Amino acid sequence: MAKVFIIAEHRDGKLKKSTFELLSASAAAGNETHAVILGDSVAEAAKELGAYGASKVHTIQDPALKFYTSESYVAALAPFLKAQSPDVVLAAHSPTGRDFMPRLAVRLDTGLASDCTSLTFAGNGITVKRPVYAGKAMVEVEFLGAGPKMATVRPNSLGAPKMDAAKTAEIVSASASLGNLKTKVTDIAKSNSGRPDVTEAPIVVSGGRSLKSAENFKIIEELADSIGAAVGASRAAVDAGYRPHRDQVGQTGKVVSPALYIACGISGAIQHLAGMRSSKVIVAINNDAEAPIFQVADYGIVGDLFQVVPLLKQELVKLKEH
Amino acid sequence: MNIFVCLKQVPDTETKIKLNGDNSGIDTAGIKWIVSPYDELAVEEALRLREKNPGSTVTVMSAGPVRVVEAIRTALAMGADNGVHVEVPETADTFLTAKALAAAIKKEGNLDILFTGKEAIDDGASQVSQLIAEHLGLPCVTVVLNAEYGAGSVKVKREIEGGAFESIELPMPCLIAAQKGLNEPRYASLPNIMKAKKKEVKSVKLADLGVAETEQKIRFKNFQLPPPKQAGKKIPGDPATQAKELARLLHEEAKVV
Amino acid sequence: MTWQTFAFLLVAAAAFGFAGYRFRTLIRTMRAHQGKLRPANRPTEEIGKRINAVLANVLGQKAVFQKRSIGIAHAMIFWGFLIITVGTLEQFGSTLYQGFTWEWLLGPLYSPFLVLHDVFTLLVLVGVLHAAYRRYIVRPAYLGQSKDADMVLVFTASLMISIFLMHGFMIAGGDTAHARALPISNWIGALITLTGINPEASAVLGTVFKWIHMLLVMGFGVYIPGSKHLHVLAAGPNTFLKNVHREKAMTSIDFTNESITQYGAAKVSDLSWKDALDYASCTECGRCQEVCPAHNTQKPLSPKNLILDLKDNLYRNQAAVLAGKFDEVTPLIDQNVTDDVIWACTSCRACEVACPVFIEHTDKIYEARRNLVMMESRFPAEVQTVFKNMETNASPWAFAASDRANWAEGLGVQTAAENSDFDVLLWVGCAGSFDDRNKKVIKAFVSLLKKAGVRFAILGNEEQCTGDPARRIGNEYLYQTLAQANVETLNRYQVKRVVTACPHCFNTIKNEYKDLGGAYEVFHHSQFLAQLITEGKLKPTKAVDETVTFHDSCYLGRWNGIYDQPRSILQSLPSARLVEMKSHHEQSMCCGAGGGRMWMEEKIGKSINIARTEQALETKAGIIASSCPFCMTMMSDGVKTKDLQDKVRVVDLAELLDQAPPCFRPSGLSKISTAYLSIFERALHVSDCNPTYSRGKSYLYPGITLARVLNPLRYPRARAGANNVYLERISYALSPPLPLFCFRVLVVCGRIYPLPRSMQPSQP
Repeated sequence: MAKVFIIAEHRDGKLKKSTFELLSASAAAGNETHAVILGDSVAEAAKELGAYGASKVHTIQDPALKFYTSESYVAALAPFLKAQSPDVVLAAHSPTGRDFMPRLAVRLDTGLASDCTSLTFAGNGITVKRPVYAGKAMVEVEFLGAGPKMATVRPNSLGAPKMDAAKTAEIVSASASLGNLKTKVTDIAKSNSGRPDVTEAPIVVSGGRSLKSAENFKIIEELADSIGAAVGASRAAVDAGYRPHRDQVGQTGKVVSPALYIACGISGAIQHLAGMRSSKVIVAINNDAEAPIFQVADYGIVGDLFQVVPLLKQELVKLKEH
Repeated sequence: MNIFVCLKQVPDTETKIKLNGDNSGIDTAGIKWIVSPYDELAVEEALRLREKNPGSTVTVMSAGPVRVVEAIRTALAMGADNGVHVEVPETADTFLTAKALAAAIKKEGNLDILFTGKEAIDDGASQVSQLIAEHLGLPCVTVVLNAEYGAGSVKVKREIEGGAFESIELPMPCLIAAQKGLNEPRYASLPNIMKAKKKEVKSVKLADLGVAETEQKIRFKNFQLPPPKQAGKKIPGDPATQAKELARLLHEEAKVV
Repeated sequence: MTWQTFAFLLVAAAAFGFAGYRFRTLIRTMRAHQGKLRPANRPTEEIGKRINAVLANVLGQKAVFQKRSIGIAHAMIFWGFLIITVGTLEQFGSTLYQGFTWEWLLGPLYSPFLVLHDVFTLLVLVGVLHAAYRRYIVRPAYLGQSKDADMVLVFTASLMISIFLMHGFMIAGGDTAHARALPISNWIGALITLTGINPEASAVLGTVFKWIHMLLVMGFGVYIPGSKHLHVLAAGPNTFLKNVHREKAMTSIDFTNESITQYGAAKVSDLSWKDALDYASCTECGRCQEVCPAHNTQKPLSPKNLILDLKDNLYRNQAAVLAGKFDEVTPLIDQNVTDDVIWACTSCRACEVACPVFIEHTDKIYEARRNLVMMESRFPAEVQTVFKNMETNASPWAFAASDRANWAEGLGVQTAAENSDFDVLLWVGCAGSFDDRNKKVIKAFVSLLKKAGVRFAILGNEEQCTGDPARRIGNEYLYQTLAQANVETLNRYQVKRVVTACPHCFNTIKNEYKDLGGAYEVFHHSQFLAQLITEGKLKPTKAVDETVTFHDSCYLGRWNGIYDQPRSILQSLPSARLVEMKSHHEQSMCCGAGGGRMWMEEKIGKSINIARTEQALETKAGIIASSCPFCMTMMSDGVKTKDLQDKVRVVDLAELLDQAPPCFRPSGLSKISTAYLSIFERALHVSDCNPTYSRGKSYLYPGITLARVLNPLRYPRARAGANNVYLERISYALSPPLPLFCFRVLVVCGRIYPLPRSMQPSQP
């Protein structure tokens, strides 16, 4: 049994699913599971954490923690965790977790395994595995020092979190002295479409000329929005004027390698393949069973995209709600 | 201005990864090495900052075995002024690498700004930037899409989830870790390539920096290749069945949604 | 010395002095150019061919005749001027020394000479009128408007009119010694006499017009150096210096020579004097612009304007160039010759083929690109990916070098390393290795090679991109890196013969590897297959019951002069009907992929591939035959854009030969039935697709009439789909002139297939 500290992640008080996954997994392994939540006003959010397995929730509240910065998080967490002497410290491998955890590791004089896709608790330690070379190999990470074992875990890799509304956690508030902070968040803004840019999005949904019009791209956009994906397009679709050039995926457009690439009505000419072939999981929806895109697809649906895509969206929305 | 860039040499994205005999690492024979693409953005950003501030110098550093000098030369060909090779073993972890680089930077003198890539595409750890910042006591922002340089401070735009951006202000000296979109790296001109071939690249050993090889905190072991990619599955049935099955597979088997 | 002689000497000295000065300045400007003469233009090599070129194209006006009517007009003017100039010399002579006449030299031939002189004076005038008609009435867009051209026409017409008036007045003035040899002038003289002007006055006027004529000649002489009419002097030498081969290799740069620090042309003065001679030769006829695929799709590039803009640039910088102050010369890329102009070129060389004075437009573009790429790193953003891919993986597309030979898995193809005992090396190329569509082409070709018993090998993963894309884009350094490696590999395996299905690889290995020590006998697969068919090693048996149109690849056609072998393959296919597009052979239009454009976005104007696909679709052919992987991609994309991929297929020659689609015509028919069927099919096809084709082919008329009668039967009001098949089968079965039992049998056996797609009427 290990003393596990999980750094909860939230935006404006809304907790991330990845935090629940970590809590659930740790609690399921019978660990002494602590959650730490930072912010300017997190009392409400802190209450939710117990249901997912935290036995104790530590809140660190300070006006300076209203917005995340690695500097403020590390300043608050380092002395706190040192005092708690945990066995394991975990966070999601999210833009936030991957940002502050390395600095925290230095302060705690210990090692950190990033982007783990497999996490097993054993005794008072953990065994983690993670992909390297863009998933072309897997490694086990061995912790060499005596300090706590730290890891950031890729969201969605530990299975669905279990919730038990009856469970509650003890909520304690910890103090923090953040000192003189140098970085200052001045603004948070959404992109115009509210959609991520195609280059670095974890999921990309792309459409081809088979969509037949710019208006029909609506079904692609809806599918994308249901899973927080970016919208891409083949050169043919861009040439036909259905999408702007910045959305073009391919040799002469953006080269992408998301975790999931859904190609709808794209035949898969070399020009397109050269821009998305390295995606980790590729889905192809096309009415031509002979289309080259099926050669690289992990999952293929031969069918009419105008039927399949809206249905797929419905299914994915259902999944999300569960 | 004293501008620094840390970059990593990584196998080209198309490289087929093979393991070495005892699965303690990969077989590096026949690999085409490139500068990690995010680090190229860092080099470009440094060069552009230098162009706006005449009299500045750009010093490029890379830690690794001797082969990484080639990556440093790539940056020199792009236009960097100096190159420093920090000799660390092939198996060095992020912690040793960062400590060595931080020590080497300190040794080189005052730093105004340090650019890196948001992650290296080989181990994809996204650690070294933050670790160097911590060792040098620098404020640091990662995943930077846009940066405006003022007198003594930088305003940056950082990408967070869901197509949202944070605007952050931080004082110099600081560290900026580049995300795609920050700039379009230049292609080295031929005269610069020729010049870069002749430039001296300084080499620094761990011992010179007072860093011990034993300062590693983690080690990769038991390398495994993923099971060979299965031939694509074509999902049968009517559209409703297909959609349902696809959603299930993506969630349960591929674990991507 | 008479006052006339004195006056003439004075005027001539001034005119010739001034003209001479202008020419000298021109020549000095040319000689001040910094660039080296390209090897293909060296005057000391292949002198025989050079003289032939001049005889055929200058004296024979061959290249000018590419355009028929204006070609004839030009030839009349040109030949006329040759003769008239001799006459003008006589006038100069007689002014200097009274009584001088060519009769002293020509003797009895003097009279015929005068007849020619008189007739050609009229012919030149007719030619000028035709030119004026074209320039002011027809006004083709490529000709444009030009004050200079107006001036030249006025000068030429005035020269001719002054000759007629001179001769006419002289004859009317009583100088009738040669009147009979000057029939037209004689007639004019008679007209003058009729007006009642007295002979003395006429004689004086004769002298006046002689003077007017001589002054016009000298004035023209002074005018020419600053005019497009300079071509009368420059075109000859330019023709002599032309690249006398069809094939063209780009010039190699010696990177080991450390004294070279400047690559390509940053300024006009970095080009060679031959380039300046090109500008001087340009007559602004616009033939290059008319055929330029970039210009015709609204790109800012016009080969004609490129030449004129470079010429302007040179004149603007003339003082600095003459003074050797090259750092004061303004850049070659300016507000006229923009980056977009330089990048729009597909290197198809249609301009060079069309040019009647052999200007080499593309060389200037290559030099400009080299400078932009290697010195300034300035090129369309998407090109960087291409360079990086070629640097790391030796392919313009992002695929692992170690996957190059994956296409060959299970085909039993051996690599040179596995088996060094082979006759010919199959160069697969990047498209054939990585592009799914083109892998099928290579597989078809491999299947044919095996059928023909050819002993061949591939290089497998040792093959690298030939470097062609890098070279055309201007990255000579990257090209040489790849090319050098390939030459070493080929030489290591002692390769003698190479065959490839890619015209770009073909051109590079055949014409450009020589510079790097790689000399091989190189075949394009169309040549190789045509040869195998001729030798009887391949027998095309599978009929292709379709109308086929062949799209010429620029690098096969214009770059290497291969037009016939691909067509002979198509003609060897039983039942295939070859039709040509609007532009074909030398005049063929590029698909838009050459010159590295394959990897660039086409952001301005109409897409070239769409324009070319439209030409192909106009033929109503069901198959567009291609011989190049890039053309394949471009034309397929074009057909897809038109949403006609179900009706029109783009297929490589090798595929047609190897995997011919099922054929309408059944085997096992009697000879008479086959012959009848053939005519019937032909007639059907002609009446459907290509009515003009039947002109003058009377043997087709009965068939066509029949086809027209049968049309309602063949195409009942049914929609496309399965029904049609049966209806068509029935209509064939009902066609009265064929033995009914024969069709019955075939229908029952399922040997009659639906009509080829190209023959089906388009749906309303």
